[in-house]
Amino acid sequence: MNVPVLLRRELRDAVRRYWFLVNASLFAIAGILLMVFGQPDAMLLGARGHARSLAGLMQLAMVFVPLMAIVPSVVAIAGERESGTLDYLLAQPLTRTDVYLGKWAGVCSATALSVLVGFGLVGVAAAARGVPSSPVVALLACTILLAVTFVSIGLWISARTPSRSRATSLGMTVWILLAGLGSLGVMTAFVQWGLPAWLLQAWSILNPVEAYRLAGIVLLDRETTALGPVGAGLLNRAGPGGVIGLSAISLIAWAALALALGLRSFAAADVRGGRVER
Amino acid sequence: MTAVVRAERLTKRYGRRTILDGLDFEIERGERVALLGMNGAGKTTLFRCLLGLVGFEGRLTVEGLEAGPGARAVRSRVAYLPQLPPVFDQSLAGFLELFAALRGVSIEAVVERLEQLGVAWAEVSGRPLRALSGGMLQKGYLALALAARAPILVLDEPTASLDPSSRRDLLRHLTEVGRDTTMILASHRLEEIEPLAERILVLADGRIVFDGSLTDLWGVTETERGLWVDVPADEEAAAAAILRSHPAVRNVRVNGRGIGIAVEETAQLDVLFHLRHHAIRVRDFRRLTPSLEDVMGRFADGHKRGPAGA
Repeated sequence: MNVPVLLRRELRDAVRRYWFLVNASLFAIAGILLMVFGQPDAMLLGARGHARSLAGLMQLAMVFVPLMAIVPSVVAIAGERESGTLDYLLAQPLTRTDVYLGKWAGVCSATALSVLVGFGLVGVAAAARGVPSSPVVALLACTILLAVTFVSIGLWISARTPSRSRATSLGMTVWILLAGLGSLGVMTAFVQWGLPAWLLQAWSILNPVEAYRLAGIVLLDRETTALGPVGAGLLNRAGPGGVIGLSAISLIAWAALALALGLRSFAAADVRGGRVER
Repeated sequence: MTAVVRAERLTKRYGRRTILDGLDFEIERGERVALLGMNGAGKTTLFRCLLGLVGFEGRLTVEGLEAGPGARAVRSRVAYLPQLPPVFDQSLAGFLELFAALRGVSIEAVVERLEQLGVAWAEVSGRPLRALSGGMLQKGYLALALAARAPILVLDEPTASLDPSSRRDLLRHLTEVGRDTTMILASHRLEEIEPLAERILVLADGRIVFDGSLTDLWGVTETERGLWVDVPADEEAAAAAILRSHPAVRNVRVNGRGIGIAVEETAQLDVLFHLRHHAIRVRDFRRLTPSLEDVMGRFADGHKRGPAGA
């Protein structure tokens, strides 16, 4: 099993490249700014005080973490295929599963480390302002799960596309659909077409970014009104534990499904230079 | 002798295009086999099948193990030197450490091989791969392949990207590879194949059109071996007449820069002595090897021959 060797390679490469440092720094700086300069009495996502600061951090993570996870993962395989290094790697005594899992674990670790460093610095700032550690840790766990989900989706895209540019375009499209537009556009469509509420609730749980948002808000402040009508309905129906559980299942299912589909694509594909043949 | 590589009806298609069309061949342990063919003949695709980079129809076995994308055990028996060594975003030391670990060999063994290839490890180990010359990069990959001690060494046009000096250097190292290693190489250069391979497989349109020795190849394709002789300008006409009188010489061509003659290898030395005997001052001479285009042109003309000389 050569997965640990490949994981170390990916992790080392990520740390060596600029994106790891840039992601961690941007995330930390934005989080600390929210903590330090935020108005404690103001309300954000229905929360006040420390919950308000963390809710701000969560809003930031909803847009930023999927992006910082999907950008390196979509090029992880497509980039190597394009440069010809994938051929040589696969000509070694490795299985395709080894190579795929090594890359997945490596990019997941690097992205999680970015989140951890960013959150860690924010956590220090939060502790200095008297914020209890448990909501920070819970939100951190959810954020890492969100990152892993988007790494899995990004790597699946990477396994199916021949070039770095095409993989990046597809990755950005997925990010815009799931994180950029969020539920706003979908909600508008639902209102426009008069679709039932349960369908919108299902969509909120099925969209990993929305699932993360719902879990985060419930974790931070169960009395919050920031869940919106859809989230509130879901909270009434499933209860706090149910919302958190369903959200976690959604994120894990996305990650597992994308990982399985990516493994399948990668195992079946012919590798020849910058082409993918099935 | 034991077959280490065996292909039965090996076929590879990309969509409607057939790249390998039902190949049947065996390669014995310790053999040196050269794959000849024009671009697109299927040489690299055959290697890709062997390494499990692509799926295929038919059977391909290595030491009795089925080759294919899932055949990790096959890849542990095959060391590979690519046509254009890919440039990983790493230092030479980082690259060699990674792939030594993946192949399960020690970095010391790779470094030892590299130093045997004339590379000063201490000087180059920290350099990024992108900063290395083509020759140096190729040596890094060759050191890895040799240190792996795989029973089969696959070389895909190993000198394609090298300058003449690096090419000579690499070929010299390849001729020193022990007989415990089966060597399969693809090349465009017939002059390179001669010292390296005793058996030639000629691929054209995805089929084997010749399987035999290089000498057999000249015979089958009726390709003329030759000699180029440089003599003083005032002796050129006399030299040409003397050469025409030699029974082994055919087709004498004088072009003002020397004399080109068609003559079998075994008679070439005798021809040079013949000139000297007639007081012609030979300033320089060079053996002329037919180009791949010459050989493939002959096959296109209909000099086809089935596998194993059938």
